[in-house]
Amino acid sequence: MAVGTAGRLWARIGTGVAIAGAVGLGLVAMPAGAGAAPELPPVSPEDLVTSVAQANPGPLNGTVELDNALGLPAIPGAPELANGTKEARVWSDGAGKGRVALPSDQGEKTLVSDGTTAWSYDSTDRTATKKAVTPGEHRPDAGAADPTRSAADAIERLRTTSTVSVDGTAEVAGRPAYELVLAPKPTERTLLREVRIAVDSEKRIPLRLTVLATGSADPAFEVGFTDITFGPQDPALFTFTPPPGTTVKDAPQGGDHGGRPAGAEPTVVGDGWDTVVIGKRPAQEQAPQGGPDLSQLGTPVSGSWGSGRLVTTAVASAILTDDGRVAAGAVPEQVLTEALSK
Amino acid sequence: MTITAETGPDTRAAAPLGRLLAAEVRWVFRRPRTLVTLGLFALIPVLIAIGVVVADRDGGGGLIGAVAGNGLVLPIAALTVALALLLPLAVAMAAADAIAGEAANGTLRGLLLAPVSRLRLVGVKAFGVLVVAAAAALAIAVVGVLAGMIVVGSADGGMVTLSGTTLGLGAGLARVALVTVWVVGQLAAVGAVALAVSSLTEHPLVVLASVLGGLIAFGVLSAIPALDWLQRWLLTSGWSAGADALRYPITLDAMGSSTLRALCYTAIGIGFTLWRMQRRDA
Repeated sequence: MAVGTAGRLWARIGTGVAIAGAVGLGLVAMPAGAGAAPELPPVSPEDLVTSVAQANPGPLNGTVELDNALGLPAIPGAPELANGTKEARVWSDGAGKGRVALPSDQGEKTLVSDGTTAWSYDSTDRTATKKAVTPGEHRPDAGAADPTRSAADAIERLRTTSTVSVDGTAEVAGRPAYELVLAPKPTERTLLREVRIAVDSEKRIPLRLTVLATGSADPAFEVGFTDITFGPQDPALFTFTPPPGTTVKDAPQGGDHGGRPAGAEPTVVGDGWDTVVIGKRPAQEQAPQGGPDLSQLGTPVSGSWGSGRLVTTAVASAILTDDGRVAAGAVPEQVLTEALSK
Repeated sequence: MTITAETGPDTRAAAPLGRLLAAEVRWVFRRPRTLVTLGLFALIPVLIAIGVVVADRDGGGGLIGAVAGNGLVLPIAALTVALALLLPLAVAMAAADAIAGEAANGTLRGLLLAPVSRLRLVGVKAFGVLVVAAAAALAIAVVGVLAGMIVVGSADGGMVTLSGTTLGLGAGLARVALVTVWVVGQLAAVGAVALAVSSLTEHPLVVLASVLGGLIAFGVLSAIPALDWLQRWLLTSGWSAGADALRYPITLDAMGSSTLRALCYTAIGIGFTLWRMQRRDA
């Protein structure tokens, strides 16, 4: 019967369409797997480090993903430090102007620097904060969320106390890259195993920074581009005009970011991997409004240096002493207490 | 009968597709519940607008908070809110009526015996569901724009993005249109799956229950951190992407991937409905 045949045909086509949909869904859901390691001409670690220091990538834009598994305890008032993945979109004109967007599900934090003024805009409370920057200064303060900056800083600081090697290649954000590995020399007392930096083979800028702790195969901290495009950017991206209905504030002068009180410059004990930074923490009443509350964290410890609370994470420890000092570093507790006793 | 034999079974007295579609749309909009649903959807943006104006501007963060003094955000916020449960409910209702409802009334038998191929029948029913989805989304968007401009008022006649830039009226409306189209795409996926369930049963309630139950189950699954890998399979996990239309520069990644996912769900639903309807007797 003709209708029956056509019916069976359509039933089969229906099944086919449904299966195609299911397969397609699988393809959409498949995480973009790491490509095969690209073939690149060998490069010596010294040459790679030098070329990173001299790299000038020019204008670019991209998406940066920050994967935080540091295991910081939940700090009231600072939920952004907890474990998790965060995303940022960055634009740079390659000459000091920049834009960073930190999107959340229902809002966005935007940082724009036009070379002389840095704006930060928060869509949730619609406030814009203005701050003058000297032209020499780098793009808006995005903290660790900039793989290029943080990787270049890490290389600079750790070179002398590390074994530097090139460990194969990788594909990051669709671009071939060298894997530069900084491992602490045996004399360094640190919680870290190594820092891996994927360096773009052509532009020689760091595309990804990975921090690995001793005794764990998974990165404790990773920040890298998931998508990057080099090329001229729309100049309108690097200007900011507060929209109507915005509260405009001036950033507190002299302090960066957390508004560190004057006269509380931290002292640095040691160098390289086992650097310990000792600072004064702001007294409770002068703590920045809405700042993290640190008084209930960690476990109590004491010693010849006094007593305080010890906070440990996968890659770092910190002691908050009862007399208001803070010692922190990527080191075991003992190194911290030694530094505090000095 | 000789004529039929010569021209082939599929072409005999086949009604023009346009007329079939028009008849289905008339049939859909003749149901009072469809009209009542659309009317209620039109109320959502109005209620949000009044709420935002009454609450003044510390109405909290989130998309609703972004509506204050920035009326063109209202349609997008309202669509995002309604997409969570209300819009899928309306679409599931339409899909339940389309096949299971007809079966319950006993009218499906007539349709199956009519000289209309089963493929056409599924196509016409799917079109009816899509029209309801589009009408519901459009009702929210249009009333949202009007309520936003009139009740809330707009910032310099334009739209302030989440990134702090100001867009002109045209660009703002274009973004509202983009979100509306994207929402209709997501609803098409819900409708196709609902139609597949509808083709399996003769109880319209079963369709409603499975669609709403499925949505709630998806919500629960996406809230379990250990099932992170499952997120990319769930239709609902991309449903906050509407806010991306409020960023500058606009980012289409999330809306694109959720549209792809919706297409796959649509293919599964329609394919299954086709397969099932070839076998269905009444």
